[in-house]
Amino acid sequence: MLNVQQKTKQTLLAIHGWSAVFLGLLLYWVIFTGTVAVFGDELDHWASPLPQAVPDSMPAGTNAMLRQAAADVDPKYLDELFVFGTAGGRMRAFFHTHVESEDGGHGYEEGVLFVFDPTTGDVLQKLEGTQEEIEAQTTFGKLGHFFIEWHVQLHVPQPWGLILTGILGLSLLVACITGFVIHKHLIKDAFLRRRRGRDLLTAKDTHVMASTWNLPFAFILAFTGSFYSLAGAFAIPAIAMVALGGDQELLVETIQGLPAEEDPRPATMADFDAMLQNVRDTGATPRFMSINHWGRQDAVVSIFPWQADGELLPKGYDFNPHTGENLGVKPTIGQAPSIGGDLVALMGPLHFGNFAGWLSKVVWFALGFAGAYASITGLILWVRRREANPRWNHLLRATLWSAWGLPAAMVAASYAYLLQQAGLLSGAVEPLMFQAFGLGLLLFALLAWLVKDLLLVPRVLAASLAIGLLALPVMRMGLGGYGWGAAFSNGLPAVWVLDIAFFISGAFLLKRSAKPVEQIAVDSDEPALGKPQTVEV
Amino acid sequence: MADSINYKARAWRFFLAGPVALLTTLVIMAGGSLWLPPGDAQVNHFVIPVVLLPAIWAVLFFYSCLDRLWRVSVVLFGLLAVQGAMIARHIMAVQGA
Repeated sequence: MLNVQQKTKQTLLAIHGWSAVFLGLLLYWVIFTGTVAVFGDELDHWASPLPQAVPDSMPAGTNAMLRQAAADVDPKYLDELFVFGTAGGRMRAFFHTHVESEDGGHGYEEGVLFVFDPTTGDVLQKLEGTQEEIEAQTTFGKLGHFFIEWHVQLHVPQPWGLILTGILGLSLLVACITGFVIHKHLIKDAFLRRRRGRDLLTAKDTHVMASTWNLPFAFILAFTGSFYSLAGAFAIPAIAMVALGGDQELLVETIQGLPAEEDPRPATMADFDAMLQNVRDTGATPRFMSINHWGRQDAVVSIFPWQADGELLPKGYDFNPHTGENLGVKPTIGQAPSIGGDLVALMGPLHFGNFAGWLSKVVWFALGFAGAYASITGLILWVRRREANPRWNHLLRATLWSAWGLPAAMVAASYAYLLQQAGLLSGAVEPLMFQAFGLGLLLFALLAWLVKDLLLVPRVLAASLAIGLLALPVMRMGLGGYGWGAAFSNGLPAVWVLDIAFFISGAFLLKRSAKPVEQIAVDSDEPALGKPQTVEV
Repeated sequence: MADSINYKARAWRFFLAGPVALLTTLVIMAGGSLWLPPGDAQVNHFVIPVVLLPAIWAVLFFYSCLDRLWRVSVVLFGLLAVQGAMIARHIMAVQGA
C-alpha cells in the first residue's frame, strides 16, 4: 500500500478516470487488436494453409528457388532481396530496387515478388511493379496484416497513426501508474471479488482485480508500445537531426554499419542452403534473410532467425556472400555490441511475446485480453458512478458497441478474406476487408443504440458475435477449406486449433447471452434487476 | 473572482502537463544525444534517450500534475531553455563548420 496524501490520490484518480473517458475506447481498440495480432501468423496459416505442414519457410532447396527466381528478373532488381515466411509457411522473395522520388520525397521500392511453396519449390505467385502495386494484388498474409495495422496505427496514414497510438501507449502508462498509486491494498485487491450481484462494488472489484493482475504486463506493453510508435513517428528523425546534424546517410551508416565499397564486378553467390543450415545449427530457425547486390563482389548477406530455445533477444548473422562463411553475430544497432542496441533488441520480445513459441504467445494473448477487459470494465465503472445523469448512457452504449463490435468487425473482415480467397468476392482483398469491417461496426452500432433496454444491449451484441464466431469455421470449411481430420493428419494445428477456439468462444457467448436475467440474479444472490445500472459487459 | 483564478490555474496546468511536458520531453531526448556517452558502438547517446522517451514523459507529466504550479513552470521552462540552448549551440556549430 502506498502512503500518499488524500489530495494527491484524488488528483491521480481524476487523471485515471478522465484520461480513460477521452482515450479509453481507442485504447481498447489498440489493446484488443494487438491481442489478436499476437496470433497474426497463426490466423494467416488458418486462413490460407498449404496442403502440408511447413516447419521451415526457408528449407533445403531455398538456394535453388532463389537462383531460379534471380535468373528470371531484371538485373536492376538484384539490388536488394528480402526473403521471409508468410501465410501457410509459404516463402516470399522480393527482388527490388529503391527508386528515388522525382518530387524529392522518400521514394519507393520497385521489383518482383515471388511466392514459393517451400515443400515443392513451385512458384505460387509472381507479381511485378511498385511495392504498393504488388501489395494491393497479393492476398497471402493479408488477414493478419490487416489486424496488425489496426494495432500499430489504427489504419491512419503515417506519421499520424503512429503518433496517435504512441499517445494511447502513454495514456496506458498513465493508467498503470495512477492505478497502482491509488490502490489501497495491492495484494488484497488481486483476490477480492465480492459476489454481490451487479452492484457498483462488484463492478469495481471486477475492474480492480483484472487490472491488478495485469499491471506489470500492461506497464511493459505501454512502455514498449509507445517506444515503437513514437520512435518511428518522430523521435529517431528528431534525435538524428541533433546528434548527426540531419545527415541521413550518416544515420544509416551508424545504425547499419558502413556499406561495402561499390564493386559491381560479377561474382558467384555461395550456397544459401549451407548458410541457412549454419544458422539452424545454432538451434534457431531462420526468419528473415536479406541479400544486397546479388551476384556482385560487394554483395552482403544477413540472416535473422527466431530466438533459439532459452534465448530472449533476437540475433542476426552476417555471411561472406562468396564463401558462405559465418562472419558472426550482427549487432542490432551499430557496428559493435552496445547497451543501446540490447535495449532496443529487448523491446521486441517484451512487446510481441514471440520468444518461446506458442507458450509465450498464449500468455501474451491472455494478458492482453485481461488488459482489454480492464479498459472496458473501467469505462463501465466510470459510467455507473454517474448513472444518475442519463447523458453518460451514450458513453455506456459506445463502450458496449466497442467491446462487442470490434471483435465482430474483425470476424466480418475474416469472412471477407475467406470469400475473396474462394473467388466469391472480386477485387483486392484489403478494401473488401475494410468494407466488411465497417459493415460489422455499423450493424453493431445500430444494435447498441436501437435496443432501448440497456440491460439487453450486451446480450444482443454478445449473441450476434457468438453467431459470427460459430459460423466462421463452418464457412471456412464450406468454401473448400480443410476439415479437422485432414488438418490434423496433415499437421496443420493452426487450422483446427483456431476453429475449435472460435467454436468454444461462440458457444460460451451464446450460452451466456441466452441465460435469463433472473437466472443470473439468483446465481449471484441478487434480486433481478432491470434498470440501466445492472448493465454488465 | 476565485472561480476565475481557479479556472486560469487549471488551464495553465493543462498547458504545462500537455504540450509543454511533451515538448520538454522531446527537447530532453534530443539534447540527451549531446551529453550522453556514445559508447564503443557510437550509438548509445542517441538510442538510449529514444528508448527512455516514455519514462521521461511520464516523469514530467506527473510532476506537472502534482507539484505547485509556479515550481512546475520554472522547472519545465528551465529544462526547455537549457536543453534548447544546448541544441541551438550545437546546430549553429555544425552549420558554421
